Amino acid sequence: MPVLECKGLTKRFGRTTALDEVSLTIEPGRIVGLLGPNGSGKTTLIKLANGLLTPDGGYIAVCGSAPGRESHRLVSYLPERTAIPTWMTARQLLDFYGDFYQDFRREAAEEMLDHLGIQPAQTIKQMSKGTREKVQLIMVMSRAAKLYLLDEPIGGVDPATRDYILSTIIGNYNPEAAVVISTHLIADVEKVLDEVIFIHQGHVTLQSTVDDIREDKGMSVDALFREVFKC
Amino acid sequence: MLRKLLKHEFRATGRIMLPMYLVLLVTALGSNLAGRKMLDGPDILNTLGVLIVMAFGFAICGVMLMSFVLMIQRFYKNLLQDEGYLMFTLPVSVHQHIWSKLIVSAVWFIVTVLAIIAASLIVAFQGGFLWEMLDFLRYFFEGLQKLKITEAFNGTIYLVEFAVLMFLSLAAFSLQFYAALAAGHSRANRKMLWSVVWFFGFQFALQFLGSLLFISLDRLRIPGFLNMNWDVAPVAAIHMGLLFMIVCVVIYGAIFYAVTAFFLKKHLNLE
Repeated sequence: MPVLECKGLTKRFGRTTALDEVSLTIEPGRIVGLLGPNGSGKTTLIKLANGLLTPDGGYIAVCGSAPGRESHRLVSYLPERTAIPTWMTARQLLDFYGDFYQDFRREAAEEMLDHLGIQPAQTIKQMSKGTREKVQLIMVMSRAAKLYLLDEPIGGVDPATRDYILSTIIGNYNPEAAVVISTHLIADVEKVLDEVIFIHQGHVTLQSTVDDIREDKGMSVDALFREVFKC
Repeated sequence: MLRKLLKHEFRATGRIMLPMYLVLLVTALGSNLAGRKMLDGPDILNTLGVLIVMAFGFAICGVMLMSFVLMIQRFYKNLLQDEGYLMFTLPVSVHQHIWSKLIVSAVWFIVTVLAIIAASLIVAFQGGFLWEMLDFLRYFFEGLQKLKITEAFNGTIYLVEFAVLMFLSLAAFSLQFYAALAAGHSRANRKMLWSVVWFFGFQFALQFLGSLLFISLDRLRIPGFLNMNWDVAPVAAIHMGLLFMIVCVVIYGAIFYAVTAFFLKKHLNLE
């Protein structure tokens, strides 16, 4: 069964169509890059999969069910902004995730926080922007979810932090799950991807494995992206 | 899951409300001391005493204002701002989110009232205060013994009905704010402006419909409704009046609960 499936998915914001009849399927065990320029509809698609937006048409399912309470048990979501309450301490955040998610691996999260030198009594507010993003990612990747939806996990951070984030994703995801990474920074993520979905102006323009792109087109995903989305 | 939401909601709000209550009780103690020792003393002590009593007044206003602001701020910040991305992807229902906010706000409203009563008693406490209180309670209970059982019973029920009415009114009032915020934030732009518009829209609709209801009841001349020619004792009439108001408040709250749940479920539009 696909972990994420859309058929004719449409979302409009006033007169602007953010997603137009999008159909795609993501199978478990894959790391998928959801790639497109800014404003192409990547975040809208991820929000729809999380039930943070309601579609205007079509259908979206996570592990066979519509986004909602049941799908939230199976999806681990990293928003493109800091959503964790900044008044909480690292320990309170661990309690929070542990209380709500049965698949939360507290020991793994504690180990990663310790590796970053974060004290349990330190509040999120006291941390730098980069550290907050790392802490949020640690919480998300410490779940043994069926689907990880990571919206711009490496946007707006320095190259060293990008490496840390990517190694955290690769080192901690549940191998039976699918990981969807939304980004426009292709060169940084290309090495970890199995599959890519190109999205442009609300349309899926390509869904292919990375190997097929390299074999058929004879170029890297980054080079293809630059060619397809040339201004 | 509601219990877990409540736990974290109390944790989030308690860190603000508990220090406020502590300040209230400390300034109440200070005011008591000021009243007994400082206000009649030398100028410096007198001035200090006045400042402490003023601080107590500000503390009372502060806790009342904070319990109200927190009711709105938690719903807005925790559900409709950035934290909403975390909260609405938890495996909990929209109803549980609304109930957790509502219950915690109502609890803080009640604790605020109790804290102000306790602080006022602290301010009034003097050497013979305890004995005076005990005397008062003794007279009170002696008076109660002289009452007929029906009078005592009715008096108690009035108090309960009034307390229930106050509690439900606060909860329903909170729900009106929640509904306006949820509706306003379903828009793509100018969410807060739309929330204010919705709030006053609700207010206008309520007053309009309420007036319309009473006018139409009057016009219809439903026997014995507005002209109050029911053949009931005044005691029963007060009960009926209070119960009628409770039913009205429950309907008022239920409407705004439904509006809040509708917008959060069907038209959630986090930026």
